[in-house]
Parts: sequence; structure tokens; C-alpha cells
Amino acid sequence: MKNYFNIQYPIFHRVGIVLLFSLAFSVTNLMAQDETGTTEVVKVKPVKNTFGSTLVMNNQTVMVPIKGTLQFDIQHCFGTVNNGSKDLFGLFAPSNIRLGLGYTLINNLTLGLGITKERMQMDLNAKYALLRQTDGKMPVSLTYYGNIVIDTRAASNFRYDAHRLSYFNQLLIARKITSKFSAQVAPSFSWFNNIDGYVDSKGDIQKKMNNGHFAVSVLGRYKISENSAIIAGYDQPLTSHPTNNPHPNICFGIETTTSAHAFQVFVGNYYGIVPQSNNMFNRNDYTAGNFLIGFNITRLWNY
Amino acid sequence: MKMKSLIMVVFAGLIAFSFTTNLRDGGKPWPVPDAAKNKKNPVAKSAESVEAGKALWSKHCKACHGAKGLGDGSKAAQLETEPGNFTKAEFQAQTDGAIFYKTSEGRDDMPSFKKKIADAEDIWNLVNYIRTLKK
Repeated sequence: MKNYFNIQYPIFHRVGIVLLFSLAFSVTNLMAQDETGTTEVVKVKPVKNTFGSTLVMNNQTVMVPIKGTLQFDIQHCFGTVNNGSKDLFGLFAPSNIRLGLGYTLINNLTLGLGITKERMQMDLNAKYALLRQTDGKMPVSLTYYGNIVIDTRAASNFRYDAHRLSYFNQLLIARKITSKFSAQVAPSFSWFNNIDGYVDSKGDIQKKMNNGHFAVSVLGRYKISENSAIIAGYDQPLTSHPTNNPHPNICFGIETTTSAHAFQVFVGNYYGIVPQSNNMFNRNDYTAGNFLIGFNITRLWNY
Repeated sequence: MKMKSLIMVVFAGLIAFSFTTNLRDGGKPWPVPDAAKNKKNPVAKSAESVEAGKALWSKHCKACHGAKGLGDGSKAAQLETEPGNFTKAEFQAQTDGAIFYKTSEGRDDMPSFKKKIADAEDIWNLVNYIRTLKK
């Protein structure tokens, strides 16, 4: 574990830990109040529409659709804007696409699968809402998201089949602060069974990166009308690797939702779409202007 | 040539008329069971309820029924059934229970919202907002 917190970003690490402890303490405190409170039973309903969709740009949100909802995701990232008009700011450059399906089997649990163009990855994912924010009782919503990803490229790319696998686990903590503004913080852990290596000057094989990687994501939504919002996010790597340290991600965009759709158009640094690919391998440096345009479309059906 | 033009005009007129006929069909009676019609609205018409209803209206209803309930939403022209004018006394004469029933169950182009808006209280909020559309 120590390896993964070889703190390259001490401020973010400390802020993250303080924030997590504060949230945990506030929840414990409220539960204690419940035990000693009045006996009057008031039905408290969860806060609704913390976010407009289960996705905000490159990250999951705490939202889990209602039971019986089938969700179809189309996620798209174009190339970086650096070539300017030569490739129309990345719109004509090679792009990355994910198509995903998710179904909410029971209340609070969605199971899904998807395919992503980059490295021909196939993902199986699960999302479970552990806590829901309620007025005056539960200050935050808490949701778990995890996946298993299979790299389906030709066998010649792998020594063992197990090397195809990677995993992602994330805790999403969000609060609808006002009717217009919601914020989310989400620590995550990514794991790749196989990581590239190199031969050092002594002839020994060394890993370019650790297999595991901690990161934290922060994002927010501000509604500018009933159905439209400004969205922004920041992803900070926490683990320091021997080489090839990934870059953080800054992203912002607009979102509009309808009865059955959510549309998001955004600018950011992440290209991978699959969360562990983004967190481990982001080579787009915002200080060098490596931004790209992306969009998400989600369609919901209720059965 | 004149005859050809005349035939085209008549043909175009017939097509236009057929659309008009479809729209009129949309005004067919929508029977509501007595139990549903007489169901009492359990949610008081508070500002909070109307605001919640307005948000739901904007997300789920506005595209067909229009911002003010005139039936002139951006998708209204694509519908085979007329979305109705909710500002009129005729529509507003219905009971809260009848509006709740129609919103929940749906019919033809009007989707059922009982799964999409799973919390009945939210549909009552919507009913409370629809009441504010009356002119």
C-alpha cells in the first residue's frame, strides 16, 4: 500500500483524507442523533436529481436509475485540439468510442456491460447506491461503482490470458447543496494485471508503473435552467509511479436532459473513456494544451 | 397542363385533410374509472409542490404540451394525437384524480409515466403545477 501513496501530490492527498474523515464523522454524528432523537416517525424521502445522469463527462455519478430502467450509453472522445484547423481541432482525428448498456435489476443496483474502441476493451460493471441524501438526516449520497475490463486484442499481445484483465473500484460521495448546485468527490483504485516493463542498466527487468493506482475525482454541476447545466470536473492521480506518471484531467462542458435522454458536450484531457485507462494512462497534459472535445448521450427506457 | 396542376392541388389538399382528420381523432373521449376520478389529491398545493411539479413538467411534458400547456411543444407537430390545451376550462374541469390517472397510465402518443416517475407524490406535484396553467 505504501508504494501507491508515495505522495507526489501531498496537498491533494491531505485534503482528500480530511474530506473523507469529515464526511464519515458527519454521518456518524447524525446517526448518533437518530438513536437519541424523538420517537415521532416522519417519512424522509431521498433528495432527487443530484445529477442529471449516471455519467458526468468521464466519471460516474452517484445516480442509479430506478428499478426496471434500461440505459444505453454512447460516449465519444475526439482527438486533441493541438493540430488546429489541420484536423479541425481533433474532430477529424482518430477518436475513441464506448457503447454501453446497463439495467437496474433491483432498487439501487445497476449491472452493465460495454465495449470501447481503444484497446478493444470490454467492460462488465456494477453500481450500487449505498446511502441516499435526505433533507436534514443524511448529508450525502454514497454509491459504489466497480468494473472488470477485458482487453480483447489478439493473444500475441499477452503472455498470459490473465494479463488482459484490469479492475476499477470507486466510492462516489455527493451532495445536492442547493437546488441548482451539486458536488461530488470520488476516490478510486485502479488495478492492471499487466504493466509494461523495461530492462535497466544492470539487465534487470523493472516495471514502468505500479499495477495499482489511487486517484480522486471532484466534479460539480450547476443548473442554468430546468433542463440545462454547466458541468466541470478535475481528476487527480495520487499514486506516484517509477515512470510514465499520468497527468491530471480538467474538464468542463454543458449538459441538457430530457425525459429519456441526457446529452453532454465537453472539453477535457481524458481520452480513454474506461475509467482505469483514464486514471492510469492519461498522457494529455493540460499545461501543454492537450485538450479534446467529447460528448455523451444516454437513453433511458423504463420497463 | 392545367388539369395536371389541378390534380396535384387536389391531391395535396387531400393529404393535408387527412392530417387534420388524424388530429381530430386525438380528441376522442378518455374515460377514467370512477375510483381514479374520485381519488383525492394527498399533496397540498404549496409553492414547494408547484415548483417540484414545474421541474417535472419541464423535463417530461414540455416537449409535447408546450411551456404553457397550450399543446404547442417542439414535438407536438409529430404527434398523431392532439396534445390538448391545458389552459382551457374544459381541461381544468377534470378532477385532480383524473389528471393523475391520465398522466400515470397514458394512451396512444401520451406515454405512461407511472414507471418513469415512480413516486406517486411527484405525479401529484405535477397535477398541482398543471392547475397553475389555467387561464
